[in-house]
Amino acid sequence: MKPMRRFKCSVCGYIYDESAGVPGQGITPGTTWEDLPEDFVCPLCMAPKGVFKLLEEAPHPDAGAGSAIIEDTHKAADGLDDGIKELSAGEISAICSSLAKGCEKQRLTEEMAAFNELADYFKTQVSDQGTSWDEVANELQEDMAARFERANAVARADEDRGALRSLVWSEKVSMMAKSLLERFAREGDAMLLNTKIFVCDICGLIMVGDVPPEICPVCKVPRFNIVEIERR
Amino acid sequence: MPAYRNIRLCGKDCMCLYVCPTGATNTENSIIDASKCIPGCMVCVTACPSGAISMIPDQYPPQQPKSTGVIAAQRTLGQSKVRQEKIAEAVAKATNSAVTNQFARAVAKSNLRMAEDILRESGYLLPQSGEVRELLTSLREKAGPGFPKDAAELLLTRLQG
Ligand code: SF4
Ligand code: SF4
Ligand SMILES: [Zn+2]
Ligand SMILES: [Zn+2]
Repeated sequence: MKPMRRFKCSVCGYIYDESAGVPGQGITPGTTWEDLPEDFVCPLCMAPKGVFKLLEEAPHPDAGAGSAIIEDTHKAADGLDDGIKELSAGEISAICSSLAKGCEKQRLTEEMAAFNELADYFKTQVSDQGTSWDEVANELQEDMAARFERANAVARADEDRGALRSLVWSEKVSMMAKSLLERFAREGDAMLLNTKIFVCDICGLIMVGDVPPEICPVCKVPRFNIVEIERR
Repeated sequence: MPAYRNIRLCGKDCMCLYVCPTGATNTENSIIDASKCIPGCMVCVTACPSGAISMIPDQYPPQQPKSTGVIAAQRTLGQSKVRQEKIAEAVAKATNSAVTNQFARAVAKSNLRMAEDILRESGYLLPQSGEVRELLTSLREKAGPGFPKDAAELLLTRLQG
């Protein structure tokens, strides 16, 4: 008999253990990864099968990790000779809406409204970027292939914990988005026809399922921060 | 520095009502009356059994500095997320299917939340920071038609480090 393997959800960290199955979902102990139905979802965060990764036994302790980071940082620095780009209208809009939330937390109601007004204005100034799912997928592909790695390397080298935290969250959120986009490309509207879709209002995680989890599997906020996107 | 009560955490009707020397906590809408609150008092914060009251600071330290490398890398990602948001919105608008529209709006919202968080970590965490003032000042200078001048003025006047 083959040894039982374990697979880790890269969004929330849940581990599917072939020897344990998921009895609550009617998946009996001993069910291999290949025998799991294609529509199997993570019992904790509802992420599809595609985001799971095989857990290798006994990871080699920090084999060459240090030098890899340094190399990454150099690579990252190369691309930066042209310095910092000017902010686009879309970026200004997102910065203003996030500052509006900052003001809300400080109970600065009028300041919040003013930042929201700026965010709305700059949103109207954003030029067209495309109209197809493929264009979303291409950008996302580039994020996953290079942009996250580079941002992580720079933030790690600087020990910028705030930036690292934002990257950990958004990389997981991006991974979930990518696998849902792929599923949507295969299944089309059937993906959502008989179920619901939710977005975490704090980290942006998209969740497909009948009920949202108690807490967001990525940023850990309680359920009241998870909003349903209604069909209309 | 007034006290603020988080209504979600508050168990209602207890310690803060008894301990407040000015009655600032005893209001019918559960919002502590900042005009009656004594600066630095904090008695209700200590007494609340639910950890529902905190003091809102009126001064903040400078933000943690960001390196050029981090700013550039965060912006590159943030720009990608706002682009994806914009495209998803266009998909939502163009489709005839209510389900595709629903999914596209979810993708757009998700990207906006990511963009906000990623860009906040490029040096725009604190509304009162010098970085934000600089941004607001430059926006005001370059203002095009329709730019909400009053909003920018209000922020530059009120938000001082
Ligand atoms: S003491 Fe705390 S829990 Fe009790 S009423 Fe006041 S805020 Fe609410
Ligand atoms: S800080 Fe003091 S004065 Fe202000 S609400 Fe609390 S108990 Fe009352
Ligand atoms: Zn999961
Ligand atoms: Zn979240």
